[in-house]
Amino acid sequence: MSEERGDGSVLENPTESGFRSELRRAARVMVVARWPVFAVFFLTLAAIAATLGSWLAPFDPNRQNLVLRLADPMTAGPDGGVFLLGSDALGRDVFSRLLYGARVSLTVGFAAITVGGTIGIVAGLLSGYFGGWLDDLIMRLGDIQLAFPFILLAIMFLVVLGSGVWNLILVLGVGQWVTYARIVRADTLSLREKEFVEAARAMGDSTFSIIFRTILPNILAPLTVIASFNVASVILSEAALSFLGLGVPPDVPTWGSMLAESRDTLVANKWWLAVFPGVAIMLTVLSFNILGDWLRDFLDPRLRERT
Amino acid sequence: MGAYIVRRLLQSIIVIIGVTLVSFLALQAGGDPTYLFVSERASTEEIEATRQALGFDRPLHEQYLSFVGDLARGDFGQSLSYRQPAMEIVLDALPATIELTLFAMILALMLAIPLGVLAAINRGTAWDGSITTMSMVGQSIPSFWMGIMMILFFGLYIRLFPISGNVPFLKPLIAGDFAVAFSNLPRTLYHLVLPGIAVGTYSLARNTRLVRSSLLEVLEQDYVRTARSKGIAEFRVLVHHALRNAWLPVVTIVGLEFGFLLGGVVVVETVFSYPGIGRLLFAAINQRDIPLVQAGVILLASIFILLNLLVDLVYVRLDPRVKLDGGRG
Amino acid sequence: MKRHTAPIRALATCVLGMSLLTGCAEQSDDTIVVGLSADITTFEPGMISSRDNANIARHIFGALFTLGPDGEHIPELAHTLEISDDGMAYVYTLNQGLTCHDGEALTAEDVAYTFNRIADPANRFTGNTPGFVFSSIGFESAEPLDDLRVQINIAQKNPIAFGLMTEVYVYCKDAYERMSLDEAASNPIGSGAYRLASWTRGSEVVLEKVREPGNFERIVWRIIPEASTRTAELIAGNVDIIANVVPEQVETINESGRASVQVVSGTRRMYVGYNLSAEHAAMPGGDAIQDPDVRRALQYAVDVPTICRQLLSVECERATGLVNPQNANPNLIPYSYDPELAGRLLDEAGWPRGDDGTRFFIRMQAGQGRYVNDVNVVLAIVQYLEDVGLDIELELMEWASVYTPLLRERSMGPLFFLGTGGGLWSPIYDMTDIARVSSGTNYTHWSDSRWFDRWPDMVNTEDLDEQRVIIDEMLEVFYDDGPWLHLYFQPDFYGVSDRITWTARRDEHVEIFEASLR
Repeated sequence: MSEERGDGSVLENPTESGFRSELRRAARVMVVARWPVFAVFFLTLAAIAATLGSWLAPFDPNRQNLVLRLADPMTAGPDGGVFLLGSDALGRDVFSRLLYGARVSLTVGFAAITVGGTIGIVAGLLSGYFGGWLDDLIMRLGDIQLAFPFILLAIMFLVVLGSGVWNLILVLGVGQWVTYARIVRADTLSLREKEFVEAARAMGDSTFSIIFRTILPNILAPLTVIASFNVASVILSEAALSFLGLGVPPDVPTWGSMLAESRDTLVANKWWLAVFPGVAIMLTVLSFNILGDWLRDFLDPRLRERT
Repeated sequence: MGAYIVRRLLQSIIVIIGVTLVSFLALQAGGDPTYLFVSERASTEEIEATRQALGFDRPLHEQYLSFVGDLARGDFGQSLSYRQPAMEIVLDALPATIELTLFAMILALMLAIPLGVLAAINRGTAWDGSITTMSMVGQSIPSFWMGIMMILFFGLYIRLFPISGNVPFLKPLIAGDFAVAFSNLPRTLYHLVLPGIAVGTYSLARNTRLVRSSLLEVLEQDYVRTARSKGIAEFRVLVHHALRNAWLPVVTIVGLEFGFLLGGVVVVETVFSYPGIGRLLFAAINQRDIPLVQAGVILLASIFILLNLLVDLVYVRLDPRVKLDGGRG
Repeated sequence: MKRHTAPIRALATCVLGMSLLTGCAEQSDDTIVVGLSADITTFEPGMISSRDNANIARHIFGALFTLGPDGEHIPELAHTLEISDDGMAYVYTLNQGLTCHDGEALTAEDVAYTFNRIADPANRFTGNTPGFVFSSIGFESAEPLDDLRVQINIAQKNPIAFGLMTEVYVYCKDAYERMSLDEAASNPIGSGAYRLASWTRGSEVVLEKVREPGNFERIVWRIIPEASTRTAELIAGNVDIIANVVPEQVETINESGRASVQVVSGTRRMYVGYNLSAEHAAMPGGDAIQDPDVRRALQYAVDVPTICRQLLSVECERATGLVNPQNANPNLIPYSYDPELAGRLLDEAGWPRGDDGTRFFIRMQAGQGRYVNDVNVVLAIVQYLEDVGLDIELELMEWASVYTPLLRERSMGPLFFLGTGGGLWSPIYDMTDIARVSSGTNYTHWSDSRWFDRWPDMVNTEDLDEQRVIIDEMLEVFYDDGPWLHLYFQPDFYGVSDRITWTARRDEHVEIFEASLR
C-alpha cells in the first residue's frame, strides 16, 4: 500500500514509523539535490573544528611569535610546526585561530537563536492564543524593535553593556525574537479554532497544556526553516559586530575580529589574513542558507510563501 | 481607508516614542558621560561644572522628559561633540547615505529583475542553476569583507575606482544648485561604485531569488495556464499576466529594503571611510554623544516607519484582495 | 598664470580619462592634500582638544609666540615677551599692523579679549586651552596695557607658562562678539595664514591662503579613518601627507615609488603604569607592585627593543624616565631585557613561583585604538610579563568612553598602559605630569617624598645649573623607584608623497607652512 504525498513523492509504507520514514525521504531528496550534501559536509567540518579544535590546532591560537609575524602561508613555525595559512600581526597561527574561531561563531550562533527562538516562540504563542491587549503589546514591542536598524541597536547595547560573549549572545538573541514571534502567532491563530484544540479544551486541559502540548508541536516545522536562516544571519551579524570591535575580547579569536585585525595590513599585501576568515564565514553562512532552503522545500512547498 | 491611515499613524507614533525611550536608556545606562566633554587634564571643579552645565546631574526621568518636550518643539538638542544642533548634523550626513543606499538598491533591482526572470524562464537548466548558486553565495558574503576585498583589489592591484570619500550630488541638488549637482554627478557615481556593490550584493542576491520564485509561482497559476492554452504568445503571457502579479511581493520587499539597507550601511561606510550617517552614528555612539544618536536613530526609524506605511498603502491599492488588517504575519 | 591654468589642466586630464585611473583627484600645483584619521568637530578655539583639530586650527589662527620643531621659542604675532620678577605677569608686545581675516585690526585689546573669552565660565568651553593650559598656568586675567602691549596675569611663578601659552589661538574681539557660540564653531575668523574656505563634516576641510607664510594656495584636509585606505590613497597619489601610518604599511609605501615614510621619534612617553593608590593596593597583585623592588624587577621583564623592532618597525628611543631624551638625565641607561634577572629579583622580593608556575595575579587595563599599534604592543607586553611568572587578566577597552573616564578618576589599574604627550622645550614640562601627588595627571598616585619635596626647590631655583642638578637627582629617583615601567617614546610615522617636500615634527604638530612642491 502506498500513499502519494503533496510534493509528488510516494510513501512506500505508510504504516512505518513516521520519523524514520521522514529521515529516509530526507536523505533521498538531499542526495538528489546535491547542494545540501555539500552544506551538511561543510557544517560537519565546522562542527568538528568547533568541538575538537583544541586537539586539531597545531599551535596555541594566542601564542605570539613576534619574530615570525605576518608570515606567508606554509612558512615554518616554531617547534617544527608549519603555519599552514600564515601568521598574523602578532605571529599567531592563522589556521589555529580559524579553528578556534569556528567554536565561537557557531556557539554564539546557536546560543543566540536559542535565546531568540525561546523568547519568540513564547511571545508568539501567548500573543496568538490570548489575543487582546497582550497581543497588541507584544506586537507593538516587536514593531519598536524592528523600527531600529538592528546593527545600531546592537552597537548601542554593546557599547553600554560592554562587549563579551554573553552580552553578544544576549544582544543577538534579543534581536531575533520578532521573526519567530510573528510566524508562531499566525500559526497559533489559525490553529486556535481547529477541532483538536477544541477537543482538548472540552476535555478540560489547562491552558498551559493546550498551548504547549497541543499547539506548539504542530507549529514547529516552519520554525526549523527559520532557525536555519537565522543562524546564518546571526553569524553574519556577529562577524560584523566583532569587526566593529564590539564582539568578544581580543584574546578570543573569532572570524569577524580576525577580519578586523586584517584591515591594517591589507595594503601591505598580507592577503591571507583577510581571505581565509572571510571564506570561512561565507561557507558557513552559505551552508546554513542551503540547509534552510532545502528544509523548506522538503517539509512543505507551501511554506515557501510564509518564510 | 481613512481610519486605517489614522490608526497606522498612531501606531507609528507610539513606535517612535518607544524608539526614543530605548535609545535614551541605552546610552545613559553606561555611566556618567561627563568625562567625554572635558579636556584631558581638567580639574574636579571643571568636571563638576561641566556636568551641571550639560545637565547630566539631573535624575534620568527628568532628562528624558525634557528631551521629549524639546522634540515636540522640533528641538533635538545640541550635539555634545560638535556643539551644534544635532538634527542639523544628522541631516547633513543623510544625503550621502541616501545616495549610497539608492545606488545600491537601483543596482540590485536593475540586475535582479532580468536575472530572476532569466532564471525562472529557464528553470532547471544550467542558467537557472548558476544564477541560483550565485545568489546563494551573494547572500552569504559579509558586506564588510566584500568591501575589504574590493579595497584590496581596486586600491592596490587595479586602480580603477576610488576607494574612499564621496562627491555630493543630493546636497547641491536640494540646495537648488543644479549646475554643481549635475557636474558632480559622474564623480559621485564613480565614488559610489565600490561601496554600492558592497552594500547591494546581499539585496541583489535576495531579490534575484525573490523575482525568480515569485515568477515561478505565478507561472504555475491557473490563469497563466489558461492564457497559454488560449494560444497567447509566451512573451505576452509573461509580461501581461505573470509579471504584473509577480512584482507585488517584490514591491513590498523593495520598499522595506531601503530602511533595511539604511541601517546596514554602518559597516560599509566605516570600511570605505564614506562620510554618511552610518559612520557618524557609530562614532557618536562610541562617544556617547546622546543628542546626536537620538537625532540619528529617530530620523532613521521614522524613515523606516514611513516607508512601511507607504508600502502597506500601496500594497492595498494594488491588490484589493488583501485585507487592511492582519495582512502581515 | 600658473594659478589659472592648473585647474583647467586638471579638468582636461580628467575629461581625457587619464586620471580616471587615479580617481580624478584634485591634484594641482597649488593644492596640497593631507589625510587625517579622525573627524574634526569644531573650530571654536575654546573647544579644540584633539591634536588633529589643533593642527588645522593652527593654520587659521596665529599665536603670540610659537614653538619650533626643536622646542625653540619663536615670535609670531608678538615680538617680545617680558616676564615680571615675581613671575606672575607676562607682557607681550605685538607686531605693528596686524589684522584678522575680516580686516579688523588686531591689537592688544583683541589679545586680552581672546584670553578672557576662553576663560569665561559662562561660555563653558572644555577645550585644551581652558582645560589644560589655563589651569596649568593658573590663568587669572588678561588686560591691554596699550595698543600693542598686553599683560597676562597668572596665579604664581611657573617656569613653563611661556611654552604653554603658545597654544592659545588669537582672534579679534569685534568678530567674535558678534557671533553666537554655534556660529563660531563653524565660522572661524582667524589671524593666521589661511582661512576656512569650506568644511564638509566627516569628509574634508578646505583652507585658502590669505597671507604668508605658506607655499600652497589651498590645503585640503581629508578625513579617512581607515588606515589601509589612507595609505592606498597616498600611494595612488590622491593624498600628499598622511599621519598615523601603521608600521606594517611602511614597506609598502616605501616600495611604491610614489611616496616614502618619515619616521620621527616622537615626544609621547609610552609606559605601563603601576597604580599605587590604597584602593589598588587592596586588589590582587596590588600589594606586590607597592614594593619598588618588584617594580624594578619587572623593568627587566619586557623586551622593549624587540617590541619596537617587530611591532613598530623601528629602533625606537628607549625611555629612562618621563623626560624626552634631549633633556633627560644623561647618566641613566635604559633597563636591559633580562628575564632571568627579573625572575631572580622577584624571588628575592618575596614572590617566588607557585605550584602553578605563577607568582601573583594582577589585572591590566588599556584603551585601544589610540596609539600606534597599541593593541599588539599591549598583548606583547602581557606575554612578556606572563613569561616571568605574572598571571595577567587583560582588559582592553574602547578609548573615548570607557578608558578615558577611568583616566579622569585615576582609577585604572593596578597595571595600565598609557602614553602621555611631552615636549622638547623643557624637562620641567615633561615632569609636570607628576607635579603634585594630587595632580590630575599623576595617574599612579605616586607619592615618594624624594620627588615631591624637591619640586618647589626645582621650580624656584633661579640658577639653571643648580636646577639641572636637582632635576637629575629627581629623575634618578624616578628611574630607580618610580611608578612607571619605562617603555619607549612613541615613534610617529608620516607618509609623504614624492610630489612635495615636507619635514615631520617630533611633537605631533602637523604644520604645512614649510611644505612645498619638489
